[in-house]
Order: sequence, then C-alpha cells, then structure tokens
Amino acid sequence: MPGPDDPGCAVTLTTVPKVEPIMYGDRKVFTVSSFNRGIATYLAKLPVLWVEGEVTELRRNEAWATVFVTLKDPETGATLKVTIGRRGFDRLDLALEEGETVHVSGRAELYEQKGELGLRVTMIERIGLGGHLLALERLKRKLAAEGLFAPARKRPLPRLPRAIGILTGADAAARGDLVTTIGARFPAAAVVVCETRVQGKGAPAAIVSALNALAAHPEVDVIVLTRGGGSFEDLLPFSDEAVVRAVASCAVPIVSAVGHEQDTPLCDLAADVRAATPTAAGTLVVPDAGELRTTLEGSRRRLGLAVRNVLERDAAVLTRLGERLRSAPRLLLERRRSALDHTGARLKALSPLATLDRGYAIVRAGAVALRDTSMVSQGDRLEIELASGALGATVEDVRA
Amino acid sequence: MTDERSFEALQKELEDIVARLERGDVAVDDAIALFRKGEELYKTCVERLQGAELRIEELSASEPE
Repeated sequence: MPGPDDPGCAVTLTTVPKVEPIMYGDRKVFTVSSFNRGIATYLAKLPVLWVEGEVTELRRNEAWATVFVTLKDPETGATLKVTIGRRGFDRLDLALEEGETVHVSGRAELYEQKGELGLRVTMIERIGLGGHLLALERLKRKLAAEGLFAPARKRPLPRLPRAIGILTGADAAARGDLVTTIGARFPAAAVVVCETRVQGKGAPAAIVSALNALAAHPEVDVIVLTRGGGSFEDLLPFSDEAVVRAVASCAVPIVSAVGHEQDTPLCDLAADVRAATPTAAGTLVVPDAGELRTTLEGSRRRLGLAVRNVLERDAAVLTRLGERLRSAPRLLLERRRSALDHTGARLKALSPLATLDRGYAIVRAGAVALRDTSMVSQGDRLEIELASGALGATVEDVRA
Repeated sequence: MTDERSFEALQKELEDIVARLERGDVAVDDAIALFRKGEELYKTCVERLQGAELRIEELSASEPE
C-alpha cells in the first residue's frame, strides 16, 4: 500500500519511461522497478470499472492527500485496496462507516514501489435501496436454487412445546404481544427470551448467535423470530445470508414474525412457518388451553363409557351363562322323566293286569297262580283277582 | 411417579386407550387396568394444563465480535 506521505498513486502515462531489459547473453532480464512499471502501464490501459464491496477499513488523515479504504467481498473474504484523493472523498460527504456496502468506480493501478495492486477511484456510492433490492433478489434466487425455501423442508410445529424460544430485539411491543398471547392461550407455558441486536452492523452475527443459543436450550421445542416493523434497511439483517441459512438449518422449528405483513425478509421464506404478526405467532406456537381441556374431558367421558360397555357386555354374557347353568338340572330331569314315562307305557302294555281288563282272571292258591287242576284239592281256599277287586272262593270239586 | 413425557405423548396414549376400549376386544381385567391408566393420564394432562403461570426465562447469547 502506498505510504501516507505518498503524493498520489495515479500513473501518469507521459512520465512512464520505456521499460528496457538488461541483456545477459540471450536472456532478457528486467529490474523489479522496470517490471512493476511495465505492469503498471499495462493496467492503466484497463477501462474504468464499478466494484461492489464492504468497507472494512477506512483511513483518512487531514495531512494526507489520499484516503485509503479496504473493500471486502462478504462472501469469500477477498479484499481490495482502494484509494481516492482526499479532497474528492471529502466532497462526496458520505460519512462512510466500516461495514457498509458501497459501489466504487475507478481504474486498476499498481503501486510501483511495493508492486501492490489497488483500485484508484473517483467515486464512492453507498449502495442504495435499488442496489439492496437487487442484491436481495440475487440472494433469494441463489438460496431458492439450493432448495432452502422448499415446502418439503418445512417441519410441523409441536402441538405443545415444553418451552418456546423467543428471539427479539429491544422491541417491547413485539415481545409484549407475543408473550401476552402465549400467556392468555396457555397459562402454563414456558418461554425463553433471548434479546439481541437486530439492526445495524453486527446484527446478523448477533442474530445467528442468539438463534444457536436458543436452539441449544434443552427445553426449547420451537423458536419465534420477532421484530416489529421498520424501514427496509432496518429489516435487512433478517435477509442476511448467514441468518437465512441459520434459520433453515436450525435444529428446532422456527416461526418467523418479522416486520409487518407486507414485508417479506428472506428469513420468512426459510422459516418453517411465517406469521403475519407477533400475535399470530403466539397463536401458532401454543394451543388454546380451554380447547385442550374440552378435548381431554371428551376423552375421559369416552373412557368411562367404553369401560362400562366392556363390563356390561361381559356381565350380559355372564348372566346368560348363569341362566343356562341354573336351567341345566331341570332340563336333565325332564329328559329323564320323559324316558321313564316311555318305559312305563311299555311296561304297562306287558302287564297281565291289562289282560284282566279284557275279562280274564287270575286264580291263586296261596302265592301260586293256578295253571293246572292237579295243583288243588276239594276244599282248598282260592284267591281270584279280577281287573277290579278280588274274590275269595273254595274249591267244590276238581275235574280233570 | 411423574411422567416425563411430553403432553402430546400423554394425550396420545390416553386417546389410544380410549380407542382400544371402544373397540371392545379386551378382557375384563385388562379393561379395568386400561381404565385406571386412562384416568391417571387424564389427571396428569389436566395438572399440566393447570400449571401455575407463564414462566419467563431470559437467555443471553455470547455476542461474537
């Protein structure tokens, strides 16, 4: 880099002496100075270009003719030394700060004494709204192409998180709305609030760090990013590439409630759910305790009914079994009786008494039924049985 | 005995028990055991809903420089 007391680094073509090599036999050899001068002359032929970068270092001193600025490519970290005449710089009246993104217009040059490449500029412009919008659109396309906003990546929110992480700026309204809504819907909820810087330089890194801290909390099951409305520039950290990537890769689901409804910072696209307002976010992260209570009462009623049904069904089975058990002996008895009646009828058919009905009689002498006259003698006592009643008789005479 | 599972898990088990009992393919002894478990789950869920009041914890992230 040129020293502060260097009067200026512009290459004035007219003063460039011809670059002559020294000959060592066939070999052309250039001195360092002549080499640098040659390159410088070559670079001076390049056209005036616009370059975009982030100001990482700005050195201005009343005693110096030149202001030194280092620009950085935020994506790769590549740097470029930029110089501008102090008076030209002062006329721009930028009040430029480190961390701001600028466009500079100028020509490549080589500081011959050191062989260092730089850009000598005549114009520095802070990147305007239009520039931001274009940069945002570019980033959006790039991240979309990577699939960071794909619907398939969206995770469902837990129905009842053990704790809700809240990432907020020092913004009483957004935080208040969110916490009030959560408390009203679900009084037993637990919230973990991480307040962090949400705008200006360093905000993206602070947001990423807060997000990681919340995600690492053992009870946090969902995180709400919230920030009240603000200017386009105020909301820019929520579209920062590092923040958007951190949101997309966060271990717990994220609800984004940043800015007003019409704002769409890129973190809204990377989050699992987008809420229009902090109040809407509160409604999304906790269920309504009253509704849950009603559901639980319903479950309990069904539980009671179901167990009663099971018991009643079994009781009915039992009753039927009991009835069968009690009626079993009677059935058995009836069956036996009918069998007995049948046997009785058969017995009756065989009985000699049935023969008596037809007019026959049984004649006994003592216990013996008479079949032959030789079995009795005159004067023997006989017993005559009829179908109905009996007679006593005496033998008058015996005939062979 | 406190159940460390999430409210969702507890409520899910309660619903499952109700569904099983409603299908009715359980023995009487099991039905009574299921009913007792269901009542217990119901009570645990209600207790969780009735937790005192909103708990707020402040967390500070180490700011990168």
